[in-house]
Amino acid sequence: MSELTWLTKSPRPRITLTNPLSHSHSDDRHMALRLEGSAKETLEQGRNRLVIALVVFAFCFVILSGRLVGLAISGIGADEAVATSGDVSPPVALGEGKRADIRDRNGVLLATTLATASLFAEPKNVIDPKEAAVKLATVLDDMSEATILSRLSSARNFVWLKRNLTPTQQYRVNALGIPGLHFRTEEKRFYPMGSLVSHVLGFTDVDNRGIAGVEKYFDGQLAGSEGGPAQELMLSIDVRIQHALRDEITRHMSVFRAIGGAGMVMDVKSGEILGLVSLPDFDPNRPSDFSGDAKFNRITLGVYEMGSTFKTFTTAMALDAGTVGLADGYDATEPIRKAGFRIRDDHPKKRWLSVPEIFMYSSNIGAAKMAEDVGTKHQKAFLAKLGMLDKPSLEVPEVGAPILPPRWNSLETMTISFGHGLSVSPLQLSAGISAMVNGGKYINPTVVLREEGTAKPVRDVISPKTSDIIRRLMRLVVEKGTGGRAAAEGYVVGGKTGTAEKAVDGRYKRDALIASFVGAFPMDDPSYVVFAMLDEPKGNASTHGFRSAGWTAAPIISRLISRIGPILSVTPVNEASEELQKALFIPINSKEKSLASF
Amino acid sequence: MKLKLTVLSLVLLGGVSYGLYQLSYEVQALEREYAALNENIVKNREAIRILKAEWTYQNRPDVLQALAGKYLPLLLIAPYQVASVAEVPYPAVDPEKFSVPVPQYNPHRNYTPVVPARPVPNGPVQLATFTRGGAVQ
Repeated sequence: MSELTWLTKSPRPRITLTNPLSHSHSDDRHMALRLEGSAKETLEQGRNRLVIALVVFAFCFVILSGRLVGLAISGIGADEAVATSGDVSPPVALGEGKRADIRDRNGVLLATTLATASLFAEPKNVIDPKEAAVKLATVLDDMSEATILSRLSSARNFVWLKRNLTPTQQYRVNALGIPGLHFRTEEKRFYPMGSLVSHVLGFTDVDNRGIAGVEKYFDGQLAGSEGGPAQELMLSIDVRIQHALRDEITRHMSVFRAIGGAGMVMDVKSGEILGLVSLPDFDPNRPSDFSGDAKFNRITLGVYEMGSTFKTFTTAMALDAGTVGLADGYDATEPIRKAGFRIRDDHPKKRWLSVPEIFMYSSNIGAAKMAEDVGTKHQKAFLAKLGMLDKPSLEVPEVGAPILPPRWNSLETMTISFGHGLSVSPLQLSAGISAMVNGGKYINPTVVLREEGTAKPVRDVISPKTSDIIRRLMRLVVEKGTGGRAAAEGYVVGGKTGTAEKAVDGRYKRDALIASFVGAFPMDDPSYVVFAMLDEPKGNASTHGFRSAGWTAAPIISRLISRIGPILSVTPVNEASEELQKALFIPINSKEKSLASF
Repeated sequence: MKLKLTVLSLVLLGGVSYGLYQLSYEVQALEREYAALNENIVKNREAIRILKAEWTYQNRPDVLQALAGKYLPLLLIAPYQVASVAEVPYPAVDPEKFSVPVPQYNPHRNYTPVVPARPVPNGPVQLATFTRGGAVQ
């Protein structure tokens, strides 16, 4: 009997089937399915399994059809877009991810961020690097063929070819049709004013991180990393004044063949800097093309022995301390000899000079004697109050600390009285002069726009009465003294000249001067302090060969104030009017006449 | 009855699915439009940024100075050229007599004076045709 028997292990059910083909041998004519033992139970189990499978499949199909309907409703791939567009309240974020603009006090754009295309390559996908390099070199004219080839044949997956292409370059690269080259949209900091405001603005690196000037100081605010979005920055600079300042200094630099120049305009009541120029300067759009000298900020970072402009502080100090009165004076007949040094006058009068005369003729001997009477200790304290001995605070990282003398005894007291031996930045000097003329209050200078009335005076330096005398004295210098060429008709300019020899390798160079002029206008109620400086000016025929500040730096002030006066809405007045003459009168108490008649 | 129900449900099914798909396509079209609009806004904003930068660049003070020097006969402002409105001499004219220029012909026989809606500004500058009361004479 041929039987197909499926034998399994003993506890399993056993189904025995008779082979229908072998019926010739069999007596049994019928095919039989015999259920042996627990076979019925097995069949039941099989059916259950089938049902479970059916349910699973049915469930899957239901899900699939549900998804199908869902897709029909929402569209393929649009799910995410729908979800996000519902969440974000403004559909397009404002200038998202862009470094914020910098503007001047009138809202003129000084720095902005524009989208540009940068070219990169995937060297693996560049089929013929040699040919591609030849073609690219015709478009990227500042890159050599060899440089491009070396980059294209490198083993890396990604290599920058050139950042921030111009639109024309992008078009031409596209027209070349080289495979494996791609563009990425990047942001480029753009300074529409070029080099006009360079030293205040500073510049950024290729990744738009500020690395100089306010770009660095306010990097967090401009980039928007410090919690919250990027915020615009309003500077106190006025581009019109900045331009007038730069224009005049550039002109006079070329007239007097100076190697450098600097200038500053500051509001004495708020401490805001309206113009700050240091020449030579640079174009922040391409800072790498300029030398370190061009990037050197002579106003904030450079410290110089400022020369006679310091006599303003000495005179104010002596008058405020009461060691000398306006009618008093000192004998300036003979030079002072002290510790091997000789202090002499540049414009010697060789006679007794009253305090106003010492100031207007810029007598070193008189100033030295004045300071000697006040004393070293008091001088030190006074200059510290004026911020001359500490690093000033300003919103740019390039701020220089003053250089103090190693010893500060009576000799140093004398030399510092006329601006030698203590090196300060023009910024410190201008802030100090502001305090001299604004009623005696020191206000921290700033390059950021201050809301009106928010400027807080840090400390009182001199009394308002002394400040009033200093105003008259500064006016006297321009009216009758060394600063006559700084006069600008109608604007009642006052100021003080300062000519200092440059110290090179510990010695004073007689032929290298720093000529500076610090002034204020209008002198009856000063609103603005202006400062101009020329580095190593040379005399010419128009100055009869002189190169002192009265001949070289003072004319800058005259031209500058005539130009910026109307912009600053300073009303020109009649300088000869009796009222003004009275307001700025100062008794000179000269003994010259009596000596002459003698 | 059974046939009717089947036909009805089939028609209903057809209608609903047609509507559904129509809606779906409409939504997709709107989505595309929305995305395109957003993209356009971004592009326009970028263009505005560039134009603003360009405008500032073209209006650099040194460029304006060069242009003014070339085309305008202007020199440095002299002090006498600056004055306030109060300083402008105002001719002492009797307003009753000379405030209106005498017309060469009679413009309107039945002319009624127009009273201006806005008050006349105070101060030394007075338009010749206005009296202090605001009416035309």
